Amino acid sequence: MIVFEEVSKSFDSLEVLSGLSFHIATGQMVGMVGPSGSGKTTILKLVTGILTPDKGSVRVAEGVVGYVFQEPRLLPWRTAVDNVAAPLRARGRIKAEAREIAAHWLRRVELGGFEHYHPAELSGGMAQRVSIARAFAVEPRILLMDEPFSNVDAALKGSLMQILTSIIRERKPTVLYVTHDQAEAIRLADRVVELVPGNGLRELDVRDRA
Amino acid sequence: MGSTTPHKGTEADGAPEGGVGFRGVVAASEAGAGRRSGMVRRARAAYVVAGVLAMLVAWQLLSFVVSPAVMASPADTAKALAGLAWGSKLWVELLITLKRLVIGLAMGAAVGWLLGIVAGVHRQLRSFLEPLRWVSMTVPAVIIAVLAMLWFGLGDLAVIFLVAVIVFPTMYVNTVSGVQAVDRRLTEMGQVYHFSRRLLLTEVYLPGIASPVLAGLTLATGVAVRAVVLGEVLGAMNGIGHAFSRAMAYLETPELFAWIVVLLALMAVIEFGVLRPVRRRIMRWRKAGG
Repeated sequence: MIVFEEVSKSFDSLEVLSGLSFHIATGQMVGMVGPSGSGKTTILKLVTGILTPDKGSVRVAEGVVGYVFQEPRLLPWRTAVDNVAAPLRARGRIKAEAREIAAHWLRRVELGGFEHYHPAELSGGMAQRVSIARAFAVEPRILLMDEPFSNVDAALKGSLMQILTSIIRERKPTVLYVTHDQAEAIRLADRVVELVPGNGLRELDVRDRA
Repeated sequence: MGSTTPHKGTEADGAPEGGVGFRGVVAASEAGAGRRSGMVRRARAAYVVAGVLAMLVAWQLLSFVVSPAVMASPADTAKALAGLAWGSKLWVELLITLKRLVIGLAMGAAVGWLLGIVAGVHRQLRSFLEPLRWVSMTVPAVIIAVLAMLWFGLGDLAVIFLVAVIVFPTMYVNTVSGVQAVDRRLTEMGQVYHFSRRLLLTEVYLPGIASPVLAGLTLATGVAVRAVVLGEVLGAMNGIGHAFSRAMAYLETPELFAWIVVLLALMAVIEFGVLRPVRRRIMRWRKAGG
C-alpha cells in the first residue's frame, strides 16, 4: 500500500508536486505516465524515503522496497552476484548466504553462469537484468521502477518485460512503475494514471487493452 | 621542489579517472581490438627504449666535451656504482633512505587519505582544512626542511617529518577530488537499499576513489623521493642524500653520478615493481571488457 495525501515538494523555488493525493492498494500494479519534469521520479524517491515531503504525508506499508532504476546502477568493481548480494548484506545477511540468494535470482533473470562477470563484461540488457535480480532479491513488498526499459533496445525489451511480469505475478509486490510510454504502461499495469503537471493525477482507461 | 606539481597532477591523473561511470557498453563493443592494442603497446615501449638510449648517448657525448670534474661519463659512473655495490656502502645508505622514505610516505599518505575521505564528504571540514592544504602546498620544501632540522635536530625524525609534510597535500587533494567524483547515482542506489555507512564506504566510496588515490600515491612517491634526498642533503649524517652531498664536497664526481643512478633505480623499482602492479590488480574490473 502506498498513500500520498496532499503532498507538496519543491526544489529551490521550483514546485514539482503540489497537493498530490493518490492511493495504491496492496498488490496492485500501477503505471504512471506523464511528461518529463512532471515529478515522476520525485514521487518514487518520496516512496523510498530518501526524499521527504515539504507538506502533506506519504504512507507506505511496512517492508522492503525494491527499486529498478533507469540505468542499471551496478557497482562496476563488483561481480554480478556481489551486486545482487550487496542489498542483502545491508539487511544483515552474511556474505555466503547473500551470495546464495543472489545466485538464485540471477538464474531467475536467465543470467545463470554470469555470476562472476563484472558489469563491464555484460551487455546493457544483461546489466538491467542484474538490477532486476537485485530488486527482487530483497523480497520487496513494494517495487518501484523508473523507466526500466528506456535504455534497452526494442528487441530486448520484450524478453525483459516477460521476465519481469512473470516474477511480479509470482511474488505479487505492490508496483509503482514510471514510464513515458503510455502503451507500454497500459499493456503491463492493472491501473494507469497520468501525472498532469500542476493538476495532480488523471486515471486512464485500461479496460480495452489487448 | 615545486609547490604546484601535486596540483597539476591531480587534474591530470585524478579527475578524468575519478568519474566512475558505466563504461560497460563501451568496453564490450571494443572487445576484439585487443590484438591491435598489444601491437600499439609494443610500439610505444620501443619508443620509450629509444628515448632511454638517446639520453645515454647524449650523456656520453656531453661527457666528451665537459670536464670529468663536473660530469662523469656513463662508463665511469658504472664503475663507481659497481664499487659502491661491492662494498656495503650502497646497501647501508639505501636501507637508511628507504626506511625514512617508507615511514614518511606512509604517515603523510595515511593522514592525507583519511582527512581527504572525511573532507570529501563534509564541506565544512574541507573549508576548515583549506588553509592547511594551501600552506603545506605553498611553503617551499627547503623551508620545511630547515624548520624540521630546527625542531628535531639532524637525523631520522627531521627527514621523516619533511617527507610526511610534503606528501600530505598531494594525497589529500587527490582523495578529496576522488570522493567528490564518486558517482552520485551509486550512492543514491546505496541509500535506496539502506546501505549502512560502513557498507557505503566499502562497496561504493573506497572502490570508487581507488583510481585517483593510486594516482595520488604514485605522484606522492615521486615527491617523497625528492623530499627525502633534500632532507638528507641538509639535515642528516647518513643516507643517499648525505652520501651524494659528501661526494660533491670531495669532488668525487663519478660517485655523485652513481648516487643519482641509484635514486632513479629506486624510483623505478617502486613505481614499476610496486605501484603499477598494485594498481593493475585493484583496477582489474575496469579491463574486464577488453
